[in-house]
Amino acid sequence: MGLLNRRAQRGGVTLEVDFSSCRAAGLCHELLPEVIGLDVWGYPVVDGAPVPPDRVREARAAARACPRLALRVVEA
Amino acid sequence: MSRGRRRSERADRAPRSRRRLPGVSGPQHPSPVPCGEDVVVAPGPLLLAGVQEGPGLAVHRRRHGLLVPHEEGFPDAEALAVLAEQVRLRGRGGAGFPFATKLRRVAERGGRRRPPVVVVNAAEGEPASHKDAALLRTVPHLVLDGAAAAAHAVGAHEVHVVVPAERHRVVTALAAALAERRETGDPADVTADASPLRWQVHVAAPRFVAGQESAVLELIAGREGLPVHRREPAAVRGVRGRPTLLSNAETFAHVGLLALHGAEPALAHGTAEEPGTTLVTTVLVTQDGCADPVVREVPFGTSVASLLPVPGATPEVASAPVPVLVGGFHGAWLTAAEAAEATVSSTDLARFGAHLGAGVLLVPGTGVCPLGLTDRILGHLAEQSAGRCGPCVHGLGSLATAFGEVTSGREVPSGPVAELAAVVVGRGACAHPDGTSRLVVSALQALADEIDAHSTGSCPPAESRPFSSPRPGSPGNPGAGEEHRWAS
Ligand code: SF4
Ligand code: SF4
Repeated sequence: MGLLNRRAQRGGVTLEVDFSSCRAAGLCHELLPEVIGLDVWGYPVVDGAPVPPDRVREARAAARACPRLALRVVEA
Repeated sequence: MSRGRRRSERADRAPRSRRRLPGVSGPQHPSPVPCGEDVVVAPGPLLLAGVQEGPGLAVHRRRHGLLVPHEEGFPDAEALAVLAEQVRLRGRGGAGFPFATKLRRVAERGGRRRPPVVVVNAAEGEPASHKDAALLRTVPHLVLDGAAAAAHAVGAHEVHVVVPAERHRVVTALAAALAERRETGDPADVTADASPLRWQVHVAAPRFVAGQESAVLELIAGREGLPVHRREPAAVRGVRGRPTLLSNAETFAHVGLLALHGAEPALAHGTAEEPGTTLVTTVLVTQDGCADPVVREVPFGTSVASLLPVPGATPEVASAPVPVLVGGFHGAWLTAAEAAEATVSSTDLARFGAHLGAGVLLVPGTGVCPLGLTDRILGHLAEQSAGRCGPCVHGLGSLATAFGEVTSGREVPSGPVAELAAVVVGRGACAHPDGTSRLVVSALQALADEIDAHSTGSCPPAESRPFSSPRPGSPGNPGAGEEHRWAS
C-alpha cells in the first residue's frame, strides 16, 4: 500500500518514537517490518501515517515490547 | 526513506560515529561566528526607544510610566490576549507561535489552586543572535514588565528567567535590574494578594539547543538543560506540572509595551498583515571571525537589503552583493538577488523558503565563502546535537560530512546529502535536526552557483581575498555613528 493510500485513511492510530530514549535495538522493526522501517543507523522510521487497521494489534504489541518504552501508539 | 526496510539491509548500516574524538577535550567545532559580547544596539521606535539613556528603572518608568496591576483597566488574560491578537503578536524565539493562543491556553488550564508559572526564555543559544542579550542589557525592565503583566493576567506568582552562562553581561544586567525592582518596591511586582512576585534566575549552559522549550523546562526542574521528548506543551504541563507560559524575552518585551501603552504604538508600524516591529541582528562574518553584531528594531516590511552592510563600505565588506543567511544557523540562504528583493516579513520570506527565525542575518564578508561558512556551521551544529537522539547524533555528523563532499566538489548536490537531509527531519526530541536540515537544503539551492564553481576547483570569494589581512577589530557596519556601542 502506498503512502498516499495510508494518508487517506483518516482516524486510525499512529506511532510515535521518543528518539531521546530509543537505543536502536530494532526490536520494533522486527515485530512490525511493514510499518516500521529502519534507517542506516538502525533507528526506527515511522512516517506519522495511520497504522493499517490489520496491523494495529501488532503495533500495540511492538510498543509494549520496546525495552526503552520509546515507542508509543497515539490514538487518533 | 520508505517504510518496511528489511532486516537484511541493515548489514550496510553505517558505522556509529562518535561525537567527540576520544582523548580530545573541548569542542572540535566552536561557533564559526565567535562574536563575543560587544554588540552595537541602534535606538529603535518602540522597544529600543531611548536605549542611549541607560537600562535603569527610573529611566524606564519616566519613558513608559508605571505598571500597576490592581488599577482599573489593567488587562486580565482575555484582555491581554485581545491586545496580542490586535498586533498579531507571534513568539520571537523562532517558532512564531501566536502569543494570544498560548496565553489563553495557560489561563484556561490554571486557576487559584494551580497557579500557572511564567518563564522568560533569554537563553539565546544561537551564537549569532544578540537580540535578547541586547534587550536585557539595554531595556531589561520592558522585558520584566511584560513578564509581570503576563503573570498577573494568568494569576502566576512566580516568574523564571533563563539567561545564557557565556553572556556574562546579560547575567549581570538581569541581576542588577531585579535588584532595582526589589529595592524600590516597584508596584509592577506586587500580586493580587499583595505578596511580591517571585523572580528566579536560571543560568543555561552554553549550548546551541539550550533555548529549546523542553531544555529550558529541564533546567528549571534542576536537571541538565538538555531537550527531552515531551508529549504535552509547556502551556499544558510545564514547571512542576503547572500550566506554564514560556516565551522568548523579545516576546515579553512586546507584551510589556501592550500592557503599558495598549496596541496603538505597535499598530503605527509595520504592515497591515504584520503590524509592529521586530528585532534583527546583523552579523558580518569576516575572515578572522566576525565584526561587532548590530541589533536593530525594525518595522515588519523593512527591506532586508537596508539592514546589510553597504557593499564595499569597509575592506571587510564584500564589494558586490552576496548571499545572506536569514534566520541564523537554523535558517535559510537567500541568493544576493533574493536578498535585494526580500523584506522582513514571514510571508515574504516564505516565498524564498526562508523564515525570520530569531531574526539573524548572517552576511559573508570579503573573502568569506558562503559554502565554507555553511560547512563550518554544520560542523558546529552536528557537535551541538545534545547527544540524546540517535538520528540526530548520527545523522547530523553524516550530513555535515556529506555536505563537505559537495563543497569540495566530490559529490553532486542530489547525492547522499539530499537523502540525509530528508532522513533527519522530525526525528529528534527537539527542532535541532529539522533546523539543520533546512540550512542544508537551502544552501544546496541558493548556493548552486558557488557549488558549480567549487566543482570545477574554483572559489570566487576566496580568490577575491585581498593580499593584506584586514585590520583587526575594525568595524564592519555602516552608520555606527548614531548607534549605541556596548563595548567593554
Ligand atoms: S524497540 Fe524501542 S528502542 Fe528498539 S528501535 Fe524500536 S523504539 Fe527504539
Ligand atoms: S534532537 Fe538532537 S539536539 Fe535535540 S535533543 Fe535530540 S539529540 Fe539533542
